[in-house]
Amino acid sequence: MDYAMEDTQNAAPEARESSKLSSGAQKNDTQSVTKRLQAELMQLMLSPSPGTSAFPDADGNLLSWTATITGPTETPYEGLTFKLSFTFPNNYPYAPPTVLFKTPIYHPNFDFSGRICLDILGEKWSAVYNVQSVLLSLQSLLGEPNNASPLNAQAAELWDTDKEEFKRLVLARHRDIEEIE
Amino acid sequence: MPPTDPIIPARRRVFESVFSPASLEDFNTNRSATGPTSSSPFSSKSSSSQPRAQYTGHRRSRSSTTSQLTDPASTAHEPWHDQATWDRAWRTATRFLSVPDRELDIGALGQDIEETRLLRHFNRHTRPSKDVTAALAFLTAPLSQGGPDAAPRSIIDWYGYEIRRHFLKNFRGSLHALLNHPEEDQLLQKIVHCLQFARRIYFSPLVEYVLPLLSLGGEERAFIKLRRGFHMMVAYALPWPQFSVLLTREFARDSLTILGIDTLTEEIFEDALSVENMEIDHQYSVSYQDWRDAPSDEFRLQMMSDEGETRVTAARERLLTLLHGLQLVGLGGEKAQKVFAGVMNTMMSEFIRAAYTNQWEGPSLASSHLRHWIENVFARLVVQVLSVINVPESGQKEPGQLDVNLNDVEKWQDIGISRLGALRTSELFDVIVEWPASSGAIEDLRQFITYPAARSHLTHSFVATLNRRLLHPGASTVEILQVYISIIRSFNLLDPKGVLLDRIARPIRRYLRDRDDTVRVIVGGLLADPTDADAQASSNGDKLVELSAELTKAHQNSLRGEKGELDWDDMNWLPDPVDAAPDYRKSKTSDVIGSLISLFESKEMFVKEMQNMLADRLLQKRADYDQEMSVLELLKLRFGDNALQACEVMLRDIFDSRRVDAVVRNDQGLAREQSTVNPSTPALGAKRPAGRDIPDLHAKILSHFFWPEIQEQEFRVPGDIVQLQQRYAAGFGSLKQSRKLTWLNGLGQVTVELDLEDRVFVNEVTTWQATVIYAFQSPSGDSISLTIDDLTSQLSMSPSLVRSACLFWVSKRILIEGPRDTYRVLEVLPNEGDETAASGSADIPGTDEDGATSADAAQAAAAADAAAAAAAKESAEAAAMEKMNLYWQFIVGMLTNQGAMPLQRIVMMLKIAVPGGFPFSNEELREFLAGMVSRGKLEIVSGGSYKIVQ
Repeated sequence: MDYAMEDTQNAAPEARESSKLSSGAQKNDTQSVTKRLQAELMQLMLSPSPGTSAFPDADGNLLSWTATITGPTETPYEGLTFKLSFTFPNNYPYAPPTVLFKTPIYHPNFDFSGRICLDILGEKWSAVYNVQSVLLSLQSLLGEPNNASPLNAQAAELWDTDKEEFKRLVLARHRDIEEIE
Repeated sequence: MPPTDPIIPARRRVFESVFSPASLEDFNTNRSATGPTSSSPFSSKSSSSQPRAQYTGHRRSRSSTTSQLTDPASTAHEPWHDQATWDRAWRTATRFLSVPDRELDIGALGQDIEETRLLRHFNRHTRPSKDVTAALAFLTAPLSQGGPDAAPRSIIDWYGYEIRRHFLKNFRGSLHALLNHPEEDQLLQKIVHCLQFARRIYFSPLVEYVLPLLSLGGEERAFIKLRRGFHMMVAYALPWPQFSVLLTREFARDSLTILGIDTLTEEIFEDALSVENMEIDHQYSVSYQDWRDAPSDEFRLQMMSDEGETRVTAARERLLTLLHGLQLVGLGGEKAQKVFAGVMNTMMSEFIRAAYTNQWEGPSLASSHLRHWIENVFARLVVQVLSVINVPESGQKEPGQLDVNLNDVEKWQDIGISRLGALRTSELFDVIVEWPASSGAIEDLRQFITYPAARSHLTHSFVATLNRRLLHPGASTVEILQVYISIIRSFNLLDPKGVLLDRIARPIRRYLRDRDDTVRVIVGGLLADPTDADAQASSNGDKLVELSAELTKAHQNSLRGEKGELDWDDMNWLPDPVDAAPDYRKSKTSDVIGSLISLFESKEMFVKEMQNMLADRLLQKRADYDQEMSVLELLKLRFGDNALQACEVMLRDIFDSRRVDAVVRNDQGLAREQSTVNPSTPALGAKRPAGRDIPDLHAKILSHFFWPEIQEQEFRVPGDIVQLQQRYAAGFGSLKQSRKLTWLNGLGQVTVELDLEDRVFVNEVTTWQATVIYAFQSPSGDSISLTIDDLTSQLSMSPSLVRSACLFWVSKRILIEGPRDTYRVLEVLPNEGDETAASGSADIPGTDEDGATSADAAQAAAAADAAAAAAAKESAEAAAMEKMNLYWQFIVGMLTNQGAMPLQRIVMMLKIAVPGGFPFSNEELREFLAGMVSRGKLEIVSGGSYKIVQ
């Protein structure tokens, strides 16, 4: 009993201390994240890669972006544009951003709610990746799906068996984001 | 005691029993002949002590002879007899004491004879007859006080009423009339005089004849009672608000003289007087300037004493006399003390203002001067005045009681010091501007800021002044920085702990951060040459030369080793002041350089600006770069090696280039002619248009990555030079493999030697100027003329640059403009007549050739400068467009991903997203976007939003 009392007494200031520390650290994090994202944006603007584009949302904190990918030529996605949302965690770039397709897409590695199965957005993430590399990976994934780990089994199967049907389903599923809104 | 005729009172008594008391006999000539009594000393209580003693003796003798009247035993048992006696005595006494109602002629006061007449006029010229004396004695005798009919009438009370009645009826009106003309001179004196006269009328018979009859205690009581009554009346007759104004004026006038303040104020206007004059005049002086200049302390002591200064003595005399008068008629005392205190309060402020304003020289003696003044001049006057007006009502003061004690003087000194501090605080901005000539003022302030309220007052008022006088667009950044530097220096002296500086500096620093050119000015100052600091300090308005001096100095300071708070052996250590914030810690960067460098959050801005500045300077043709080297070394101490790495690389490039240049030239056989050493940038060609051997080519090899972006003008260099450059590049390639030379033709200097028919022109010019003149060289020696367009296409140079170069050569009288925009070489300098014709300027009569030539040349040079500026502006505009392209990328990215947006939103997003902010206004952006719409890259959709055209 006495011990417990003592514990709480001792614990309280420590807890406060640690929370203070962490909040300070968090603030620093946010600053460095902002800085990093600003640098990435600058790089994107200075050397845009064709078919991809990204820009922060208008909420002003740079932690959420919208990206646009144009479907690569000679793929079922040719001529289509896809919008994606990027949400960066506070410890970016030490954790991957959360990326979702906003435009409905029919693809073996993306599910119907826009979630993405891509190793570099998961366990293979590394701080050297950035928005541009993620976008390029996604763009190439459009042309060459990774059918080994499909989120959409039907699409994976159709990709191998019936390209015509696949393309029809892709076009049927695709909506321009403006139309949805 | 003069003998009185016994018959007259007897006859009078009979007469009175028939007639009621009247004033018929007021002017009994018989009595008046007994001689004037007006000269009796009634003016003060103390001086009346002698006559009183006489009367006491007299009373005793009287009581033995007229026992019938004064024997209490006989009167007490015979009430009816007493009644008559009493009534008779009463009548006699009252008639004697009563004052006839007369208007007072104020104008007549002040002259002795007139006053005597007036006294008679008021029934005050008589001596009491035996009867009267007896009656008075009877009435004042202890047992008769109650009177036979137990009426509470006492002769004293009656006299009190009489005084009041008479005063209100006769004097009050005229006093009032006087008060209503406050502008009149000597008004106060007149009033006092008048009141003194009234007092004499009322009190002389009392003191002389009545009071001595009373017992010792009763005498005192009665006198005080009557006096109080009189004082109250006076106070009633003279409304205090009006009167205090008069009194204040009087006090102020005299104390200005006594305290020496009037001479101080005059001094300001009479500064130009001759020196001898001053020395004679200012034997007595409270001037701070004289005090400072005084050779010794004794002399200083003497200066403050006013012996022999008649003017001051007279004023003092006058004031004290007046106060005596006031005190007598009841206008002194506490009320007058209050007025006096108010005046002295003003005087102190006035003195401090007059004596110390703009006296900022260090070391400061102001506070000791002020203390001395307060002790010897101020306090002296206070003591003198209070000894007159600070008399308790009971009369005499207790001997041990002092009007002013040492504590009071000390308190006044403290008040004075804090007033001085307030004055200095209000002057602080000017003090800082004058720094370091004004260190004395800072020392004064140091004594003032010993308590928190003063400190916060100082910071508040100073920040307000700063905002009003410094931190506005009218002040240049250099000025602001200069003041800031002075502030840092002076506040370090004022408050070594830096708490005040910390508070003052915040608004300045915030403001400086908002200025675009702050960094440039600071870096420019750091790199400036300290050796010409002295020459330029006053004249040069756009460089903070002292910064570089400061940098060197600061470095020396830092070598002494500062351990700060952890230096346990520091005997000069002081605790932080009480108003320091709990977490306050003096920053290490509290010196000037540190403060300026820490203005901005990151060092990047500084380093970047430093690079730009350094690039400019390193590319100049100079024998050594010691100044840059030392500045860089000093800055590395502050920034750390890493931050300034780029700058170091730049410097090393320059030194390496020398070595590499020598090697390459040697290897490639370019060094055949060593006659003229011609260091140059990679862009440089050193040409001999006259076509002698091969020109010298020297290069500076820059590591592109570490140098700031250099704006350059592209053009085609002459073939000879291109060949040289190729050989040089080859040589370099063999020396440093895997490196490639890119020539920056726009930078560099060329030594040009032009061999004309009648003269040889040698000068150092820029590469593009050399290239243009090279184009005029013809192999055949014929004179050729070229137009701007020709040159533009031939040299791939921008027209504005070509024009600028041509104008330059025209100003050197090498080229001449034929038809418009067409130039040819001026092989032979024309004579006067030709020239005026050629230049097309009107012939000014009386102008000799030289004058005309130089005027022409100056004109042409000005034109060349203007053209060069235009060319520079053109390239700057191109750079701006370049920047706009970058913003365009942002806009495209934004509109692609976020959909259509209105202008406002685009501006807002750009401000967030573009590093370093978006420098253009809404209107500029609107124009730019409109251009994009017209080019078909954007379209405007509903609601005025911009949308990317797919």
